Amino acid sequence: MNVDISQTIIRIAEIIINELKLEDVTPQTFDPDLDLVDEVGVDSMDLATIALVLRDEYGIRIDEDDYPKLTTVRIIAEYINTKLADDE
Amino acid sequence: MKTVSSLLDDHWYERYKQISKLNIRSSIYDVTDRCNLRCKGCFFFSSGEHERASEENDVNKWHAFVDKEMDRGVNLAILIGGEPTLCLDRIEAFYKRLPTFCATNGLIKVPRDRFPDMMVGLSLWGDEEDEKALRGKDTFKITSANYAGDPHAYYLYTITPKQLGKTGKIIQKIEDIGLKVHMQLLSNDEGVAGFSWKPEELMDVRAEMDAMLDAYPKTVISSKYYHKIITTGQMLDRTFGWMECPSVTELIDKRDPRPKRLTNFIRWASDLKTVHRCCTSETRDCSTCKDGAAHMSWVMVNKRAHMRSTEDLQNWIEVYEMFAKLYQFIPW
Repeated sequence: MNVDISQTIIRIAEIIINELKLEDVTPQTFDPDLDLVDEVGVDSMDLATIALVLRDEYGIRIDEDDYPKLTTVRIIAEYINTKLADDE
Repeated sequence: MKTVSSLLDDHWYERYKQISKLNIRSSIYDVTDRCNLRCKGCFFFSSGEHERASEENDVNKWHAFVDKEMDRGVNLAILIGGEPTLCLDRIEAFYKRLPTFCATNGLIKVPRDRFPDMMVGLSLWGDEEDEKALRGKDTFKITSANYAGDPHAYYLYTITPKQLGKTGKIIQKIEDIGLKVHMQLLSNDEGVAGFSWKPEELMDVRAEMDAMLDAYPKTVISSKYYHKIITTGQMLDRTFGWMECPSVTELIDKRDPRPKRLTNFIRWASDLKTVHRCCTSETRDCSTCKDGAAHMSWVMVNKRAHMRSTEDLQNWIEVYEMFAKLYQFIPW
């Protein structure tokens, strides 16, 4: 299954906005290259929460060791698409 | 959307980035059930925690246990009660593997040839008169001789109502021997006659802690926001208590909704099997708890809640920096 990265980016942005209750931003206006830790203020517990939602959404497991690498929405989207492709 | 860089100038943003990816995962360990002092107001003994479990005496099991803790993601071991330095082999099981902090009364000097850079927190309960009243002896005389000039040791000075107006003299003595000091409070739950807080005294102690930070900025490791939080129990528009505490042992944390908390935090008893409820006494009333680590962690785990203004986020940074200094993740 070849998933369009832009769709994945929008969906991940939506999940992050909902889970973190971010204000004044939409999935469409969320900068996919914004650093989630350095700019959005995400911490490890936030990442764990987001990882659980992504697991349920996409049926993939995100290793805790991978959290530090998942620094932007775009990188998360690429990570998910790669995992989905690997599972095919 | 408010971002970190939109709230901070370049100086504060650099400070933020220095700590933002530290990802500290601590747990607390009772090293032994014994102590070479019996202080009035020590929660470990007053709440009977020393009788909850029989300590594990096989040091090989301590080594295996620490390996498992590291597999769980722990990257900071905080060693406490009874008196850890009675069991140096057990301390070594932690120290050989991961960043380790040892809380001690300081009567036994940690051998620096064996533990060259282990952070040591020396408990101090007041001036000579109060030390004798609460602990039976003036420990400062001994600990100052043991640790003068040690770059990896600092005092954990418990402020009681009787210390109001006297803290400057003690902090000056600490500065004179080249050590740092972090101030904390005694909780009323310990029920030590004559040493309980009244609300108006907590306002006075906040003012005194602030004054000490101003007067001894290189010696006192603290922040005025932390002083406010610990004396008032208020953070942003929230009140500290069971439903807010970040330092509840994860294995027994059934709170719903679950608050922001320390990831994977557990406080282990010295049998390496039993767990305690939280970082302090299980008998303590959470609404009046004055545990310093719990309150600073409360701030630390609520980073995004502090992104509502520049001042709030700067306050968060100062508390995180304080914690990171006290556990040697960043330099003094």
